[in-house]
Amino acid sequence: MPPQEGAPNVSDYTDLQLDALRELANIGSGTAATALASMLGREVELAVPRALALPLADAVDAVGPADVTVSSVVLPITGDVEALVLLLFPTADAATLCGLLGVEPGTEVGDSAIGEIGNILGTSYINALASMASLALEPKPPHVVTDMLGAIVASLLTGTVGETGTALVLDSELDVADAACSLSFLLLPTTGGVAELLGRLGVGNA
Amino acid sequence: MGELAASASPEEELTSIGLGSCIGVALVDRARGVAALAHVMLPDAAADHDAPAGKYADRAVPALVREVEALGARRVRLEAVIVGGAQMFDVGVGSALDIGARNATAVRAALAQQRIPVRAEEVGGRRGRTMRLHVGPMTVTVKEAGGREVELWNGSPSTRRSPAEVMH
Repeated sequence: MPPQEGAPNVSDYTDLQLDALRELANIGSGTAATALASMLGREVELAVPRALALPLADAVDAVGPADVTVSSVVLPITGDVEALVLLLFPTADAATLCGLLGVEPGTEVGDSAIGEIGNILGTSYINALASMASLALEPKPPHVVTDMLGAIVASLLTGTVGETGTALVLDSELDVADAACSLSFLLLPTTGGVAELLGRLGVGNA
Repeated sequence: MGELAASASPEEELTSIGLGSCIGVALVDRARGVAALAHVMLPDAAADHDAPAGKYADRAVPALVREVEALGARRVRLEAVIVGGAQMFDVGVGSALDIGARNATAVRAALAQQRIPVRAEEVGGRRGRTMRLHVGPMTVTVKEAGGREVELWNGSPSTRRSPAEVMH
């Protein structure tokens, strides 16, 4: 991917911009938490999201320990903003979630249930974003991979931000009440996608 | 990640954790007991001048050579082992789809340019890997998520394993 003209670097994201993105993540993940709660019939708690603008390698480290095995669902987003929605479950929590849904974890059916949860949560998240920022966004089918956290996040971020240097990660934590089940919810916009988001939120660089 | 380390201490171990589309590039001079390892993330540096030396294939290989030479290695004795370059997802935006393969091509080209032979490799496939370079015995081991540690190289002239052969 060639570097984009006028691509922002770390110092180009102001506190105001990061606050606006954090608020966007808050509303998106709030909607996703509601969807998860109604699906499971349990309360879902939401931690205050983080908006991280970091050099690629540091962004990978900030998401979590590289060697931990996690289940992940990736939902590519196209339209006005290109991005990836990434859901990360510790493997034990993915198994708990499968249990709550009455399917066997680690099987094809289990993976497909995890993928479907990712699909529903990711879609609610981006629908909230779309209506808040007046964007046309379209999700593509989800993809489930269980592997090392660092390998997953680095493989995805190198694609979204490439050689532009700075990765933007919007990171939310969802926690299912009365069950050992939490998941991370990440939005990884492309560098062009970040600029578009900021513009729509009225805090663009232009 | 994106970093580079060198060592001449037999008790040390150089590690690249969680290589997905990234590639771990090891350079060793067995006679001198000198080794270095870079965690390459992308093929070429383009305009990213402030990046860590190990981040891009085109800059990482010359940087590795400088590091091992500084520890007494001789260029003619250098040997390389490469691990990673997987395609973990069928989906992606931007150039996410083929970064693993592009990284592998760029690393091989950069090594060929320095006339450094690749003695062993485990490249491609769909799984993430952790690579360990044990400086004392000068061996390289590879481990996939949930898998066991497997020796990839023990100093023999050529070891090549395709991803199909390393499935457990």
